[in-house]
Amino acid sequence: MNERLGTSISGTFAAAVPFVCGLLGVIVTNIPVSVLRGTVPPPLFSLMAIYFWCLVRPDLMPPAAAFALGVLEDFLSGGPPGVWALSFVITYALIDRERDAFAGLSGFAALLGFAASMLVASMSAWLIASFVYGRFPPLVPLSIEFAVSVVVYIPMAMLFGLIHRHLVGPLRSEF
Amino acid sequence: MANGTWKIARGKGGAQLPLAIVAVLAIALVVLGKAQSSLFDRAHTYYSDSIAPLLKSAGQPLDGVGKWMSGLGGLLDVYQENQRLKEENARLRQWQSAALVLESRVKRYQLLLNAVPDPSLDAISARVIGRNNRPFLDTLILDAGKSRGVKPGEAVVDARGMVGRVFLAGDHTSWIILLTDLNSRIPVVIEPGNIPAIMAGDNSDDPALEPMSPGAPIKEGGQVVTSGDGGLLPNGLPVGAVVWDGSAFRVSLLADAAAADDVRIVDLKAPPEQPPVVTPNDLPAAAAGLPPLVTTHVLPGNGASAAQTPAALAPMQKGAAAAPRKTAPLVLPSGNATLPTTTNTDDHPDQ
Repeated sequence: MNERLGTSISGTFAAAVPFVCGLLGVIVTNIPVSVLRGTVPPPLFSLMAIYFWCLVRPDLMPPAAAFALGVLEDFLSGGPPGVWALSFVITYALIDRERDAFAGLSGFAALLGFAASMLVASMSAWLIASFVYGRFPPLVPLSIEFAVSVVVYIPMAMLFGLIHRHLVGPLRSEF
Repeated sequence: MANGTWKIARGKGGAQLPLAIVAVLAIALVVLGKAQSSLFDRAHTYYSDSIAPLLKSAGQPLDGVGKWMSGLGGLLDVYQENQRLKEENARLRQWQSAALVLESRVKRYQLLLNAVPDPSLDAISARVIGRNNRPFLDTLILDAGKSRGVKPGEAVVDARGMVGRVFLAGDHTSWIILLTDLNSRIPVVIEPGNIPAIMAGDNSDDPALEPMSPGAPIKEGGQVVTSGDGGLLPNGLPVGAVVWDGSAFRVSLLADAAAADDVRIVDLKAPPEQPPVVTPNDLPAAAAGLPPLVTTHVLPGNGASAAQTPAALAPMQKGAAAAPRKTAPLVLPSGNATLPTTTNTDDHPDQ
């Protein structure tokens, strides 16, 4: 009985890990303190978590989780509501549709896979922001955020890999 | 990395919302956010008030590291920098004494001309505790809020010039929208020439300059200061200098938001000057010391007329600010006949 309860608790904890990683990513991205004194936009950590776990455990990173992370991103960033929420959902739809192609990538190609997702997220956010503001925002800040995010994805993917192996693991049916 | 070293899960959670429903929710949120942009405002201020102590404690060491990193390059030429600063300091002292002389001279002229004094300004000093540089928003968070009298719309300046303005004020913190932000638009004037323009941020380092009148003679190097139009920002706050980027005029800002640690929130005390209330004594004839005017109304049909003085007309007017329709008799050259004419000196508020 106790053993079953313990397994259930650890299973619930493991199931929450991808979303919690995304949540932490949103918080870290939006901490208004920067060593670079705000001169460079921070990387989009939450999208890294969405991309990673949408590929390896989509059951633990459902569309609703991507939407919730986007809403939180909108709220904490102080930007117009809905921009990142819709952008994350669009990107999620792309990753979900092309999962086989993305998941088969390794090494540098895997980085390109994330770069493609980040590009879709950035461009859709830019288009949505254009609709909200009624004019086209400059692309330079988005380009910098894109570049910083792609570079930072390399260590983050390693970290997520470690977390996945030790805390989350594959689906029980796949053992 | 997602390189196929582990099996890819295919299962879908039974309780998850379908993608289409989530997409509709997201679109609804965008539309709602466009309709009501202040959707998250109260939550933002509550959030920044809550994390303010954490930001203050965490920000100082990080700011120290940032300053140390940015100062690394300067270590190599510290001697030349010191010499340059000494020379600059000597020049600035000369300018300071010249400015003091000119200031006293301007005050004397103002006294002689009985000029309306500049509106009084009050300022609250505040410390920058957060910086948020995102692709669609460029903001600072200050450690002063409503409890210290900060109100949305007030200008924020550093030692060199205007940094931005307050757009959200919580109890203990306030959010500053920088002049470079996409949402920033402030009325300015370009000197010399007193050319009115709007300075619009576009998330680039140098905000765009949109002159009110097309073809205005703007020159590179002109000084940009706030115009004070609208009565929210004080006039004359230094903003920057006009630069030409090859396609349009832009403003090279004097203030450096990235380096600003301590700023002042400028509170414009005096309300915008209202036009004086018009009284019968302000009528040209009365002001010239002539007898009260006689108004002749010619009634249609029978030629009967009625005479009324401006004082008699006063109760007919709604409110003291309403400008009277001054009726001045037109005296013909013969001097006998008087025809009534009506001169509309001002737009009547009821019209």
